[in-house]
Amino acid sequence: MSGALATAERVRSGASSACEEVERVLAALAGEPYNAVTRVLAERARREAAQVDAALASGEDPGPLAGVPYGVKDLFDVDGLSTTAGSALYADAAPATADAEVVRRLRDAGAVLVATLNMDEFAYGFATINATHGTTRNPHDLARLAGGSSGGSAAIVAGGLLPFALGSDTNGSIRVPASLTGIYGLKPTHHDLPVAGTFPFAESFDDIGPFARDMADLLAVWQVLKGASAEDISAAPRLARLGGRFRQNVEAEQLAAIDAIAPDAPLVDLPDVARARSAAFLITAYEGGVLHREALARDPLGFDPQVRDRLLAGALLPAGLHDEAQAFRAAYKATIAALVADYDVLLAPAAPGVAPLIDDPVVAIDGERTAARATLGIHTQPITFLGLPSLAVPLRRPGRLPLGLQLIGKAGGEAALFALAARLEADGIIGWSEPGAGLAKQGAAA
Amino acid sequence: MRRPSFIPSIDPFLLCLIAVVTAASLLPVRGAAASAFDVLADLAIMLLFFLHGAKLSREAIVQGIGNWRLHALVLASTYMLFPATGLAVDAVAARWLNPLLISGVLFLTLLPSTVQSSIAFTAMARGNVAAAVCSASLSNLLGIVLTPLLVGLFIETRGSGHGFDWGAVRGIVAQLLLPFLAGHLLRPLIGAWVARNKQILMPVDRGSILLVVYSAFSAAVVNGIWKVLNLSDLAALLVLSAAILAVIMLANFAAARMAKLSREDTIVLLFCGSKKSLVSGVPMAGALFAPAQVGMVVLPLMIFHQLQLFVCAWLAARYARDPIAEPAAARAAVPVGEAQIAAVAKDRGLTIPAECERGVAANLALLADHAGRLRG
Repeated sequence: MSGALATAERVRSGASSACEEVERVLAALAGEPYNAVTRVLAERARREAAQVDAALASGEDPGPLAGVPYGVKDLFDVDGLSTTAGSALYADAAPATADAEVVRRLRDAGAVLVATLNMDEFAYGFATINATHGTTRNPHDLARLAGGSSGGSAAIVAGGLLPFALGSDTNGSIRVPASLTGIYGLKPTHHDLPVAGTFPFAESFDDIGPFARDMADLLAVWQVLKGASAEDISAAPRLARLGGRFRQNVEAEQLAAIDAIAPDAPLVDLPDVARARSAAFLITAYEGGVLHREALARDPLGFDPQVRDRLLAGALLPAGLHDEAQAFRAAYKATIAALVADYDVLLAPAAPGVAPLIDDPVVAIDGERTAARATLGIHTQPITFLGLPSLAVPLRRPGRLPLGLQLIGKAGGEAALFALAARLEADGIIGWSEPGAGLAKQGAAA
Repeated sequence: MRRPSFIPSIDPFLLCLIAVVTAASLLPVRGAAASAFDVLADLAIMLLFFLHGAKLSREAIVQGIGNWRLHALVLASTYMLFPATGLAVDAVAARWLNPLLISGVLFLTLLPSTVQSSIAFTAMARGNVAAAVCSASLSNLLGIVLTPLLVGLFIETRGSGHGFDWGAVRGIVAQLLLPFLAGHLLRPLIGAWVARNKQILMPVDRGSILLVVYSAFSAAVVNGIWKVLNLSDLAALLVLSAAILAVIMLANFAAARMAKLSREDTIVLLFCGSKKSLVSGVPMAGALFAPAQVGMVVLPLMIFHQLQLFVCAWLAARYARDPIAEPAAARAAVPVGEAQIAAVAKDRGLTIPAECERGVAANLALLADHAGRLRG
């Protein structure tokens, strides 16, 4: 399966048609082996593809993503469908009456929506273990987790079945699965990309962003979502490596890669990382609890067992604690902004190692076995807390389980991340590796 | 964990300043050498402002600039409350203190806030650093225009005839503003280099101040400063400086309470709103006053500057370790234990199903741990 720009080029040049591209993808999705897809939107996809082909036939420009198929995490509004956020509670909810804003932008750019994708219920988890739709599997090893909560979006792109997909990131839900499945995933500057028409989780941290297999595709999709071009960065970015907690609970190869990318860059210790992560936990739990309080009062057992206890606990937190955590956050953001003001990109691991096994979904943190669904975001959560943009990039290691890094920028500094990632990709340090034969392609027709 | 280094209780720079004043008193530079020193001091100041222009990051300013209420309070303190206090001191002390020293006291109240130490103290006290960067930078930039205007307004109108010349404003523009703008405009070319070599700023900062002070004090000594000044004058200056600082800090603290500022923003107002910049003040005095008067005019500023460093270092250290300054009213407990959980759940219209009780209790225990960690 080719990438987004290659597909658009084929369609725009007439070498292929949007309808042909979509039929090829629909056939592939029918037998996808990752349990990544929750709904195939064949009718809508064929309609949108036909519109792209008609536009081309009449000499109109269908947009930079002409005929490019894509999927969205199951929390984006899709006109005419219930927005379920991965929950059986909302399976029969009133259908959305319009597309989410970013889906509208992609449609206007010629992209074709073909599927909704699996996630942890209400995005509360880092594992994509879902009571209704099952667990999403990692294309590099079907016995392992894809990560979450946007695991369906990551797996379907990593497995080569779709060129790009959208996910959401509240504490690491794009970067963790991108890291575990070996693709690129962007959490933008907080609220830099529109979240209108998405099912919220914790509004203080919610963001949406794209997954792709290479930087050119990711940049092309980001430009459509943003509605603007990335600033042209010619100067070498000023790099720093995050130290302290960001150099613990990681694979040695992640640290070696960071040190190889920026051997002379200073090691910056962010103060109070553990405090920041605790504040993020409290804000997330409180806001999630408030959001679902009514449904929890009405039908607590209708929630996914993996999620309901956490949401119930959050619903019992005092508002004063949330205020306290937010006050700490405001001061913390200011302190860190001043501390890292002289750097364009900070380097850190994205997830604490390779994907955990589905049968043993635990991660060792400080030598203790902890639930993967709660702790895979140990390195992403403090960055979300700061509202900074962070691009998860895959270390290039064909034939081995993926490991990812975070390139973290200043607020609004995505362009520097893209420029550095493009350079590292050109140098062969990062890049998507095709999942091993016999694992990834079992059901793929491409 | 990295924190801004604690500012030592005895600032080594104070010792350098004392040494330079002593040197100028014993070996004042005269004649052609004095002129050469003046030119050297002017060039050092131009280089200083050029480098500050290249160093100033627009991003930090943009990040903090939204906090307009705080910035308004800081600017009001710097350019309204301070001058009003200076005028009051002028009215009270004019009868018994050397007129040039009184001008110096009034002059110091018209100066912008410091940038580096305001931010360092704010960071040390765990205040809102981005807002401090913004407030202090804004105050400093506005001071380039406002201070000469206020000096013209107040020092001239009080009729002391100290030789203020509006042409001096042009001197300020040429010596301070133009190098600053040149540095800032060249930031795309040299900003990265300056950022990488920040260590060059401190010697330029301090070296240029020492040069100006030496040059100014030499002129003052040649004109007989130590013949007209005595220990009682110095003691009076110390008392006046302490009184001004106390009035300003108490007023700012009251203003923060009235405006219901957060703890972090209160710290910014206290530190940015109560400080006066030696770095800006000395060259401005050089540009605004006759050379023979500069030594006397900057003497109150030097004393006030050291006093504010001592007081703010003490206050920042107290804020840094004082947990009472945290929003105590907002402290709220995570319910733990069967009875507490059931009571809070009932209060919120929730029923905890039997199969969820253990899980909810475990999650609340985890959240209680997080609350404990958040509170340090």
